Amino acid sequence: MTLDAKLSTYMAYYLEKDFFEDVDMFNLVSKVMQGDLTLRWYNADTEHVRLFPKDRERGLTYEDCNVGSYGYDHMPELIRNNYSMAPRGSELWGKLPDLGYTVNRKSEVWSDNVVALYEEAKTRRWAPAVDVAWDDLTKTPLPPNLEAAMAQLCTFLQECATVVMSVSSRWIYSINQEFLELKSYLCAQILDQARHIEVFRKRALLGGQGLKRASVTAEQALKEILGAETYIEASLGGNLMLGSFLLSVYRQIAAVAPSLAERKLFSLVTQDAARLVGYGSGHVRYYIAHLPQQEVKLHSYLDTAEHCLLGILGSEEYLEPLIILAGGGTTPAEVKTGSSRVVRFLSQTVAAYLERCERAGLQGRAQRSRLPQYLQRIIHSQ
Amino acid sequence: MAYLSTIDFFEDKNFLDRWKRNLKGDLDLSWMQAKTEKIAVTPENPRRGLTFRDLDKGTYGFTNQPEFERRNRSFAPRGAELPEGLPDVQAEVSQKGEVWAYNTEGYYEEAMTRQWNATLDVPWHDLAKTELPDEISRAYAQLLTFLTEVEMIATDVPAEWMGKLNNNFTEVKNFMATQVMDEARHAEVFRKRALTTGYGLMKASPQNEISLKQIRDADSFAEMSLSLHLIGEGFVLTLFRFSEYISPTEADKKMFRLVMQDEARHVGYGVQHLKWVMRHFPEKREVIHKHLEEAENMLFGGGNALEVTEPFIILAGKGLKKENIEQGAKITAMFQLKQMEEYFERLDKCGLGERRKTSKLHRAMELTRASLQEAGVIA
Repeated sequence: MTLDAKLSTYMAYYLEKDFFEDVDMFNLVSKVMQGDLTLRWYNADTEHVRLFPKDRERGLTYEDCNVGSYGYDHMPELIRNNYSMAPRGSELWGKLPDLGYTVNRKSEVWSDNVVALYEEAKTRRWAPAVDVAWDDLTKTPLPPNLEAAMAQLCTFLQECATVVMSVSSRWIYSINQEFLELKSYLCAQILDQARHIEVFRKRALLGGQGLKRASVTAEQALKEILGAETYIEASLGGNLMLGSFLLSVYRQIAAVAPSLAERKLFSLVTQDAARLVGYGSGHVRYYIAHLPQQEVKLHSYLDTAEHCLLGILGSEEYLEPLIILAGGGTTPAEVKTGSSRVVRFLSQTVAAYLERCERAGLQGRAQRSRLPQYLQRIIHSQ
Repeated sequence: MAYLSTIDFFEDKNFLDRWKRNLKGDLDLSWMQAKTEKIAVTPENPRRGLTFRDLDKGTYGFTNQPEFERRNRSFAPRGAELPEGLPDVQAEVSQKGEVWAYNTEGYYEEAMTRQWNATLDVPWHDLAKTELPDEISRAYAQLLTFLTEVEMIATDVPAEWMGKLNNNFTEVKNFMATQVMDEARHAEVFRKRALTTGYGLMKASPQNEISLKQIRDADSFAEMSLSLHLIGEGFVLTLFRFSEYISPTEADKKMFRLVMQDEARHVGYGVQHLKWVMRHFPEKREVIHKHLEEAENMLFGGGNALEVTEPFIILAGKGLKKENIEQGAKITAMFQLKQMEEYFERLDKCGLGERRKTSKLHRAMELTRASLQEAGVIA
C-alpha cells in the first residue's frame, strides 16, 4: 500500500462494536427469526393520532400534521432531549447517538411561514431543461451586444446563486433534526438555487457567446456573506439581504427581457426568490419577536455587512450589462436611457431591502443604514 | 465574522468613482471581450429540452474537465474568465475522480423532471378511509418510524458535502442538491404516513442510529459516498422494494414506488462513482476494502435492529399469530438475503468481485442462505 493510501484509511468514526462479533445480538436475532419476537416497540410511549387532509385539494400538508407532540407549535424553545436522528414525537430510549448539532434553539431558525413556503416550493417546482422555450431563444437570437450583456449577467447570477445555495447547505448539517419543517424548507431552497445555477448557465451558453467574466468585487462581498458566524446572521445576509437584491434583479430583468422566453425564465426564478426573501424576513421577524434583546446585534451585523450589498450592486460585471439590457443597446442614447433606468432600479432595490428590514422588526434600519446616503451621492453626481 | 472582504466598499474611492462613471454612461465593457470560449449549443432532442449533456463542450463541458481543479477556487462557474483577486472559497475536494460518476448529468436531469410532491401525490384521503388490523397498523407505524429516521441522515450528509466541493463540479453539486430534496421528501412522506396509521410514530432505534452515524462522520467524500450511496441506500432500495411488496394498501404501494424511483438514482450514482474510481484509480482498491469493512459493520448493525426486523416479520406474515410469524420470518430472511446479494452484485459491477472472499457480511449471507435452504424456503 502506498503512503497516500495508508493515510486515507483513517476514519473519523468507528462503531461502538463490531456487530459481526456481537454474540448477544446474534442470539437475539436468531430467536426473533425463529418466531420469538420481543415486541419491545409494540407499546411505544407515543401519542396515538390518525391524521387526514383538512382540505382534500391541498393534500396532507405539514400544517395538518401540526398536532400535539408531533407538531411544531408545541416544540420547546430549547431542544435539550434529542440530539439524534429520531423523528420528533417518536419514543427516545436507549443510547441514541449525539450528532453534534450546534443550532438547538427554535428562535434561531424558525419562521411562521416556513411550512407554507415548503409546500409552495414543492407545488411550484419546474425544470429548466423543459420549462424554458429554448427553441424559441435559438430561433430569435439577440443582437450581439445584448447577447453579450445577457451572457455576462447570467455568469454573475450563477455566482450569486452558488452562494445562496451554500448558505443553506452549510448550515443544515448543524441544525437539530427536531426543526424538521425548517430543514425540509432549506432542502427545497437548495434545489431552487441548483435550478438557478443550471438555468443561468444554460441561458448563457445557448446564446453562443459563452460565459463571460467572474466578478472580483461581487465575489469578495459574497464570500463575506457566506462567512457569517451564526445562522441568524447567515440568514439575514444570505436570505434577506442578498435575496432581496436577487428578487429585485429578477423582476427588473423580467421587465426589460428582450424576449418572451426570457421573460418566462426570469418570472420562474422570481417565484423562487420570493420564497427566499419570505423565509429570510419571517426568520428575522420571529427571532426579534422572541429574542428582542438581540435586535441590536443584528443591526450591528448589518452595519458591517451592508457594504457587501454595495459591492454586489456596484460591481461592473452586473451594472454594465444591466444598463445595456435596460437601454436596449450600447449607443450613447441607449446607454443614457439604460443608466437612468438602472439608477431608479438601484434606489428601488435598496428601498425595498430596507423596508423589509423594518417590517421584520429591525426598527430604524433605514435611518441607521449608510446605503441610502451612499446611493444619493452617486445619483446626485450624475 | 469569519471572513471580511478585502475591500470595504463604503470606503473604497476607486469603487465609488467607477460606479459614478458607469452611471454617467462611461462603460468599461472589458467583460465583453472576456477570454472565454464561444460555442454553439442546441437541444439535441427537443423533447428532452436543453440538458447538461448538450452543454458538454470544450471548456464548459465535464468530459474535458481536468482531474485536478487548480485554477478555480472561487464561486465562478466553470468556463468563466477568472480575473485576479477572486476569493479562495477553500474547497476541500478539488479532484474530479473523488466525486465524478458516469452519467451524473443524466441522473440530475432525471431528478429534476421526476420531482414529486408528498402532499399531493399520495392518495391520503383514501388512506384515511382504510382500516387496518391493529397489529398491522402498529407494525407499519414502527417500520415508518424507522424509515423516517434513516432518511434524516441522507439530507444532512450530502448537504454538508456540497459545500466542500469545488464549484467547478457543477453537475455533481446539482445532483446532490436533488438528493437533498429527495431525502427531505422521503422523511416527509414516511412521517405523514405514520401519522395517518392511528398510532403515530413509534420507537427510535439506537442500534440503527449508532450504525448510521458512521455515514455522517465520514471524513472523505469517497468514504461518504461508499457508505451512503452504495451501501446504505442500496440496502434501503431493497427495503423499499420489499416494503412495496408487503405494504397493506394500494396507496402504500404507490408511495413506495415513488420513493424507489428516487432511491434508485442515488444508488445509481454511487455505483457509477465507484466504477469511475476503480477504472481511473485502481490503486485505491485496498483503501476501498478498508472502508467497506467498517461500512459493512454499519450495515449489519443497522439491518439487524429489531425496530425494523420485527415489524417487517409481522407485515410480511400479515399478523401476529404463530403461522403468520413463521411465514413473516421466512420472507424477512429472504429479504435480508436479497439485500446482501444485491450489494455484492453491485460490487461485482464495479469490479470489486473479490470482496466476497474477505467480507464478514458475505459469510453472514452464506449462513442466511444455508439456513433458508435447510428450512426448505429456497432451493
